[in-house]
Amino acid sequence: MLQCHAKNCNSNNYPLQLSKVEVVNQETEFNPMFLRNMLPKLEWNALVKTAFQINVTLPNALPESSTDELDEEFLKTLHRVLLETHIQQGQMTCPNCNHVYHIKDGIPNMLLDETEA
Amino acid sequence: MNKEDKSRHFDGRTDKEAIPIFITHEEFRLPELESLTKIEHVKISYNKEEYRKNCPFLVVEIDSEKEATRLIKRAILIRNIYELWGMGKTYEEVHTQVKSKPERWPPYDYKSFKFIVSAFGSTCSSDYQVKIINSFAYLGFKGDIDLKNPEVQFGVLEDYGLDPYLPGPPPEPYMIYFGRSIASGNRDLIQTYNLKKRRYIGNTSMDAELSLIMANQALAAPGKLIYDPFVGTGSFLLTCAQFGAFTMGSDIDGRQIRGQTNRSIKSNVEQYNLNGKVLDTLVFDICHHPFRDNLWFDAIVTDPPYGVRAGAKTLGRKEPFKRPLTPKLIDGIPAHKREDYYPPTKPYEMSEVLSDLLDFAARFLVVGGRLVYWLPTVVDEYSNSDLPEHPSMKLVSNSEQNFGQWARRLVTMEKFKENIIGEHANVLNAKGLDNLSFVYHRKDDVIKEKQSGFKLNLNLISCILKNL
Repeated sequence: MLQCHAKNCNSNNYPLQLSKVEVVNQETEFNPMFLRNMLPKLEWNALVKTAFQINVTLPNALPESSTDELDEEFLKTLHRVLLETHIQQGQMTCPNCNHVYHIKDGIPNMLLDETEA
Repeated sequence: MNKEDKSRHFDGRTDKEAIPIFITHEEFRLPELESLTKIEHVKISYNKEEYRKNCPFLVVEIDSEKEATRLIKRAILIRNIYELWGMGKTYEEVHTQVKSKPERWPPYDYKSFKFIVSAFGSTCSSDYQVKIINSFAYLGFKGDIDLKNPEVQFGVLEDYGLDPYLPGPPPEPYMIYFGRSIASGNRDLIQTYNLKKRRYIGNTSMDAELSLIMANQALAAPGKLIYDPFVGTGSFLLTCAQFGAFTMGSDIDGRQIRGQTNRSIKSNVEQYNLNGKVLDTLVFDICHHPFRDNLWFDAIVTDPPYGVRAGAKTLGRKEPFKRPLTPKLIDGIPAHKREDYYPPTKPYEMSEVLSDLLDFAARFLVVGGRLVYWLPTVVDEYSNSDLPEHPSMKLVSNSEQNFGQWARRLVTMEKFKENIIGEHANVLNAKGLDNLSFVYHRKDDVIKEKQSGFKLNLNLISCILKNL
C-alpha cells in the first residue's frame, strides 16, 4: 500500500524493499470477503516482489477468473501474506531514493525529515 | 415454533411493532437509526414530524419481527424494540386496541412471562404497577410468571414527557404504549469497551459509547477496511473491528501507539480479542502520508487533534526561515536516520486539519464510503454553514454534544462521486475557529464537570417504533 513520499521522489518509488526483517506469523480467521474487496486495489507485481523478499512465493500473474470465483487455495495464500504475516522489525528502502524507513515492534515509521517533507 | 408466522395477522399484514429506544445522546439517535437501516438493509418508515428530541419513544413501520431484531442487534442508542399492541392517551384506549386483536394472544397462552411497567418522566409505585398489570388480566395467559428468564416479556410504557416549565410530572401520561418485547439493542458493548476497564488509554481516548456510535455511523461491517489518521490510543480501531471491519491507523506521534510494555494499542487489541481485525498502525504525518493513490478505505473514522485537549501537530517549524534546512548530525549519523528520530513539528491550525482531512477522504475513500469525525464549535457562534464542504462529499448527519459554552459535533459525510483532481475542501467558514484552542484549554475543568452532568440529565430518555 505504501510508497516513498520524500520530496521529489515521484517515480519508481514502490514497492519499498524489505531488509533485515524479522517476521512473525499469527493465525487469524479467514475472511474471503475482505480479500476479494482488497484484491482489485493491490498492485500485484509489487506484492509478489515484496512477498518474495520474505520468502513467500505468490503466482506471478493474477488468476484470470473474476474475483467472485477465485479458488479458495489462492485466497488462502493471499490471506497468509496479507493478514497473517507481520513484519516485527526491519527496514524498508525506497528503490529510487534509497530512503530507509524503520519498522519497530511491528510499527513502520514513515516520518520524513523536515528537509524531505 | 416459528414466532414470526405467529405474529402475522389473518389478513396477511404484520403486526404493529413498537420500539422504545433508550438514549443518552439525543441528537445521535436518528442518525444511528438511519445508519442501521443501511447496514442491515432493513426498510423502515416513520413520521419525522412525530420525532421529538426529548421523547424516548418513536413509532416506526417495519416489515417483520426478524428485520426488527436485525435492525437493532448492534444498536447503541436503541434500548429495545417492542411489537406494538396498543397505544393511547388513556388506558381505555390502549385496552380497546389490545382487545381488537385477540388473535395475537394465543401464541403466548402457555409461555412463561413477565410484565414491566415503566414511566418516562415520572415514577410509579409498585402498587400502581400491580394495578396496571392486573388491568391486562383479560389476556388470560396461563403460563408461569418468571421474572428472571421469561419466554416472553410485555411492557407498559408511560410517557409523562420532560416539560421543564412544570413543577413536577403531570398527573396523567401524555401517551401510553403497550407491547411485546422483541429484541434489545447492544448497549452491553458500552460496558465491554468502558475506558475504565481498558488496559491502555490516553487522556483523549474517546468514551466507549461514542466510539461505538461512530462505528455505526461509519457503517463498519465485515470485509470493510477502515482507517483512522489520528489514531492516538486507537479507540476507533477497536470499536470498528468489533463490528467485523478491518482497521488501521496512523499518528504523527509513535509514542502513543507503542505505549509502554504491555500497555499499547496492541495490548488493547489482545484484551478485546480483535487480533487479525486491527491490521496495522503506522507512524507518519497525514499531511505527508505515504499512501499509493488508490481507493483504499471504506470509511475514515477519526477524532482530529484540534488543540482542544491535545494540540495538533504537523511536520515543520513555527518560524521556518530562521535556520537553513540541513540535516543535523548526532554521533555522525544524520538525526532523521536514527531510529528514535522525532522531527520538529509546528502547530496545525484547525481549518488546515479539516481541509487536509476532507481532501484525504475524497481521494482515498471508495464511492459511498463515509468520513466520520468530530468538530469542536463554540455554541453561541456556531451555524450550520460553518461545516467544511467538499465537492465530492455530502453531509449525512451532524449531531451536537453540548458542553455548555462549547460543543463538539459528530459529522458524518459520504463520498458520493469520484474525486476530481484539483477540487478541494472549502473550510473558509471554519476559519473563525482557529484561534479557539486557548479558550478550550482554560475551560477544561468546567468541561469535565459539565460532561458528567450531561450524562445524568439524559439517561432517562427513550423512543417507540411501529408497523402497520
